[in-house]
Amino acid sequence: MSTILTHIAISDGKIKRSSLEVLSHCKKIAESGGHSVEAVIIDEKASSYVDGVKKYGASKIYTVEDPVFKNHMNTPLLKALAKVMETANPFVFAFASTEGTKDILGALAANQDASVLPDVSSFELIDGGIKAKRPVMAAKIVANTEAKGDKILVSVRSGSYDLVESETDAEVVNIDFNLDDSDLKATLKEIISASGDTIDLNEAEAIVAAGRGVKDEEGQNLISELASVLNAGIGASRALTEAGVYDPSLQIGQTGKVVSPQLYIAVGISGAIQHVAGMANSKVIVAINKDPDAPIFEVADYGIVGDLYKVLPPFIEEIKKIKN
Amino acid sequence: MKFYVCIKMVPDVNAPLQIKDGQLIQDADRMILNAYDASAVEEALVLKEKHGGEVEVVCIGSAKASETIRKALAMGADKATHIQTSGDEQYDSGSYARILAKFFGDKEYDVLSLGKQSQDTDSGLTGSMVAELLELPYTTNAVGLEAEDGKLIVKRQGDSGQEMIELPTPCAVTCSNDMNEPRIPNLKGIMASKRKPVDQIELSSLGLSDDELTPNTSVKGYEEKPGREPGKKFEGEPDEIAREVAQLLDTEANVL
Repeated sequence: MSTILTHIAISDGKIKRSSLEVLSHCKKIAESGGHSVEAVIIDEKASSYVDGVKKYGASKIYTVEDPVFKNHMNTPLLKALAKVMETANPFVFAFASTEGTKDILGALAANQDASVLPDVSSFELIDGGIKAKRPVMAAKIVANTEAKGDKILVSVRSGSYDLVESETDAEVVNIDFNLDDSDLKATLKEIISASGDTIDLNEAEAIVAAGRGVKDEEGQNLISELASVLNAGIGASRALTEAGVYDPSLQIGQTGKVVSPQLYIAVGISGAIQHVAGMANSKVIVAINKDPDAPIFEVADYGIVGDLYKVLPPFIEEIKKIKN
Repeated sequence: MKFYVCIKMVPDVNAPLQIKDGQLIQDADRMILNAYDASAVEEALVLKEKHGGEVEVVCIGSAKASETIRKALAMGADKATHIQTSGDEQYDSGSYARILAKFFGDKEYDVLSLGKQSQDTDSGLTGSMVAELLELPYTTNAVGLEAEDGKLIVKRQGDSGQEMIELPTPCAVTCSNDMNEPRIPNLKGIMASKRKPVDQIELSSLGLSDDELTPNTSVKGYEEKPGREPGKKFEGEPDEIAREVAQLLDTEANVL
């Protein structure tokens, strides 16, 4: 029996839903292949998240706790991950594909001499490795890929798998961690956060995204109101983050965040391929645009051809009525 | 500051793509400088203009990659090294990283920079792999760079906001294309690029073993992305169609 290990990402005091999706999938493929599934939490308060992880079926949960993990820094994280890999000896180590993961995945693979497939939309075990589907070429096509070896790292796009609860009485193992100052190659000077009360787009059930068509404060207010009625996260196209209208962390697309909510409402977004690459996996897509030929309509389940300033007020009113 | 910028020739993702028998058919005339690498070149040039120094680009690729190298030189890079391959190899990020690490092993520099990913594979692994192999401090996904007293100050986009990170040199950084608008070479730059030195070296001269070049991962084939079912388009009175779609989101799509 071999071990599949899952990394549990913590962000702003919460377990990232996307890592539980990965754990749920690992549980399923581990069981069918006769393997064990384990999880690791690396955080300033790692042990406080153990109960939340137990619900998803890991047989063993490793915790690495140290104040240095309060914020993301690649050197201590790499050191901790290397130590966890030496302890758990997994043949597959699966991550949710977050910015934090992207920062360390290549380095960890080099450090551990492991094979690595990043940002996959699905993966399965095969003889001597894994096979995975990866969206490539700005997510326009899918590459069927394989990784072989006795140590394989994989990161999985959010929304690729459903959460499946299966409570176990997992054994909890704390891994000692000590950091020398000389281990800190880089220094984190400052965190310039987006406003703290925004909803994490990687985790949001619904997202309202604003594009170039949102021209002024009135437009932004309509976006905020729609997001508030839907309890949705607010995203933006590159045009609006570059113009400084929305924070860069809210940018959706190939260069920004790749999201997959249940409901994605693209408002005044034309639908350049770079943007579509970041949202095409949403379950239901609504597009509002006054140009009937905008490419966004090619991916939208519901396309509203019209001026957002005229469409949004009655749209918001109707949703309010339905919600009440 | 001495900058090395690693660049890659990639297919233009905006060109039409064709898949035949699981293979990707690429238009050989639509190969371009990877957009993320172009941003890394631009940022190195800006810092050189501010603080002095030198910008050298390094490219692994077939003879055709010389066009990509020329583009970076025309933007303003001072010189280039072309690590020549046949172009038929199926290298993965690990193979490229081991080649680059070997090349940089005996070089002196302040900053090694790369695009945060390449547009064809979207892997985003090579930068941090090279940094780890060379034991360099690094950061990825930079959206802003400043140099200060021999240090590199990097603004990076993280999961929930931006982080300011200070790196001692030598260091490595991968660049987002959100950090700048790469300059378009002018005629003077294009003419000057023809006189700039390009050091051609054979990959075999780096002395890498077969093991070091063997990829750990492979692409078995390509397939069309499962398409989305054609949706419904609503045109007419804004009041009416807005209400109608809201109703459908509730009763048909069940997402409210």
